[in-house]
Amino acid sequence: MNEKNTKHILSIMVDNEPGVLARVVGLFSGRGYNIESLSVSEVDSHKFLSRVTIVTSGTKLIVDQIKAQLGKLIPVHNLVDISELDSFIGKELILVKLNVKNKKKPDLKEKLKKFGAVILLESNHEFIVQYAGTPEEITKLVKLLKNTKIIEQTRSGLVSMATGTDYIKK
Amino acid sequence: MKNLTGAKIVIESLIQENVKVIFGYPGGAVLPIYDELFKQKKIRHILVRHEQAAVHAAEGYARSTGKVGVVLVTSGPGATNTVTGLTDAMMDSVPVVCLSGQVPTHMIGNDAFQEADIVGITRPCTKHNYLVKDVTKLAGAIHSAFFIAKNGRPGPVLVDIPKDIQTFKAIYKGKRLTKKISYYKPSLEPAVDDIDKMTKFLSDSKKPIFYIGGGVINSGSKASVELFKLMKKTGFPCTQTLMGLGAFPMSDKQFLGMLGMHGTYEANMAMYNCDLMICVGARFDDRITGKVSGFSPNSKKIHLDIDASSFNKSVNVDLTVKGDLFKILKLVNDKISKTNITFKNSKYTKWWNQIDKWRARNCLKYKQSKKLIKPQYALQRLNSLTKDLNPFITTEVGQHQMWAAQFIEFNKPKHWMTSGGLGTMGYGLPAALGVQIAHPKDLVIDVAGEASILMNIQEMSTIKQYRLPVKVFILNNNYMGMVRQWQELLHGNRLSESYMESLPDFVKLAESFGATGLRVEKPGDVDDAVKEMINIKGAVICDVVVDPNENCFPMIPSGSTHNQMLLGPNDKVEGEISEEGMVLV
Repeated sequence: MNEKNTKHILSIMVDNEPGVLARVVGLFSGRGYNIESLSVSEVDSHKFLSRVTIVTSGTKLIVDQIKAQLGKLIPVHNLVDISELDSFIGKELILVKLNVKNKKKPDLKEKLKKFGAVILLESNHEFIVQYAGTPEEITKLVKLLKNTKIIEQTRSGLVSMATGTDYIKK
Repeated sequence: MKNLTGAKIVIESLIQENVKVIFGYPGGAVLPIYDELFKQKKIRHILVRHEQAAVHAAEGYARSTGKVGVVLVTSGPGATNTVTGLTDAMMDSVPVVCLSGQVPTHMIGNDAFQEADIVGITRPCTKHNYLVKDVTKLAGAIHSAFFIAKNGRPGPVLVDIPKDIQTFKAIYKGKRLTKKISYYKPSLEPAVDDIDKMTKFLSDSKKPIFYIGGGVINSGSKASVELFKLMKKTGFPCTQTLMGLGAFPMSDKQFLGMLGMHGTYEANMAMYNCDLMICVGARFDDRITGKVSGFSPNSKKIHLDIDASSFNKSVNVDLTVKGDLFKILKLVNDKISKTNITFKNSKYTKWWNQIDKWRARNCLKYKQSKKLIKPQYALQRLNSLTKDLNPFITTEVGQHQMWAAQFIEFNKPKHWMTSGGLGTMGYGLPAALGVQIAHPKDLVIDVAGEASILMNIQEMSTIKQYRLPVKVFILNNNYMGMVRQWQELLHGNRLSESYMESLPDFVKLAESFGATGLRVEKPGDVDDAVKEMINIKGAVICDVVVDPNENCFPMIPSGSTHNQMLLGPNDKVEGEISEEGMVLV
């Protein structure tokens, strides 16, 4: 029973109807499961389907139970444990507002460009930077900015899909 | 195509679902539906005295018939009062559809009078629920509710209907599900591979046991028939859970008694020592397993269930077979017949000899007394004197419930209604009235405790109104017996708040509701009282004054394993109960 906790990325296709997110989140809180990140948005406006990506962790027993419980929810059409597939991509989005003095701007612009981040807005003392990457890459970007004054930042949950033919059915 | 009001659509949909009876209580937000009920004669409405009782009555109706139980309540308090009943139905997989009124759509979220977010409140305690905000979707929601309630693993579904939706008009197109539900098809067919593996497990074992749960009863009487065939083909011993009693005849020699916390010695020892456990529609609940790490340590385990989330939830098993139990059991029987697998008696002689030794401990024995009625004795007499009438038995929750499970014999499914998962005191009386409505000519007995019965005693009024001949058999020990038992065993006999002070005179109480009241105080009078009770045509409360100090044995103390049972009052808990055990319920 002393199995290790492992991280799992669950991709869930659900009916986009009122209360559906409450059903999914309520299942996690009610049964004491972890949600490390959550992201949800409509992906099919004709069939009214939303795709939920949840990053969770637990022993195999727990994660199997989470999947079985999710599968019982009536609005859940399909569920894929993306992290169990051979190859997949997982990205998060970060927006950072930086306080930058004029003399430091060129140097920082260069650094950000090299990293692949985009400056969405530049004003007198401010940059708003956008970057999409794996959670590790985003952590790297935050490290890169450690000598810059970060005014605020916001990160999305992970969105993820498998490569090749392992796609989630509707 | 008829253009109907929402209220009329509700009635029309219920008629299409072949609903004959609903249990309910009117109020402001369901008046249009009650008005339509008044105008028709196809559906009978039973007016309960509290909405919790409406759900329990619907559960009793559902569990004794296999049909869906239907409830109708108003918004706010009417709806919130159903929460305990719905949770009970959820835990015990009982198909119930609950229709609740709601404040008009434009007032939702305004904290209107008698408004409650019942869809939010009942999300975790229903299989699914709907808030209908568009009258054209009302019929679909109701038909889908019935579909969901009875298909797959059964459960309760709530449909919340705002008052304005009840007055708006739409065309009723007949029994159609909502589009969204069309992909909800619980798979019933087991994988053929799994059936092959299962038969191999069966023929390889030397010390097998079937562990049978309520899933068999939910799958229908055909499942019980297939189970019986398989039991006779294999000759294996079996045990049943509290929910499973009656799925296989309890009078059969292959039945070792109920298992679990208050199960028999032979059933629990066989579970502990077996080499193959075949779990048929049960769920390895904590009342069954005791300490999980010491649960049947040396056995292979097969789990048959319709619900994948029951697999490997608390106990890891070696083979899971998902599907409808009737189909699984039939395929296994067919496979055994086709392949001529035989289960020679001689192979299991040693196992049966061992079981007989455990049986010889006679673990349900108790000390008879000449002065005081022992609760076990009262139930033994009740069983002997009524079993030819094939009664329906409901119970409340506590010691009396466990004794009823130990001493009353069920040889058919759907005759035993008890609150297993949730353990709801107050379940038995309303459940009994629901059973009686479904089976007006049959004998229905609520085995109760004096504490539990007071939790829904108002239903005596419903029983009076519909002249239901429900018999209430109270084992009155002046204590919340199970609470007192735990306080004695685990809390230094400090009987904190478990004494039942100021009890009513149950005879007078019965009479005030137009029923007959009987009171028995001596063991010699028990037989006459039981006979009198079943001979009286109307409702009876039989108040049996029993030994206040009797405890329910055998018992597996919390945090212990099946081989660490207490068999009687002289057995002491070995050492201290561990801290881990103390926190368990």
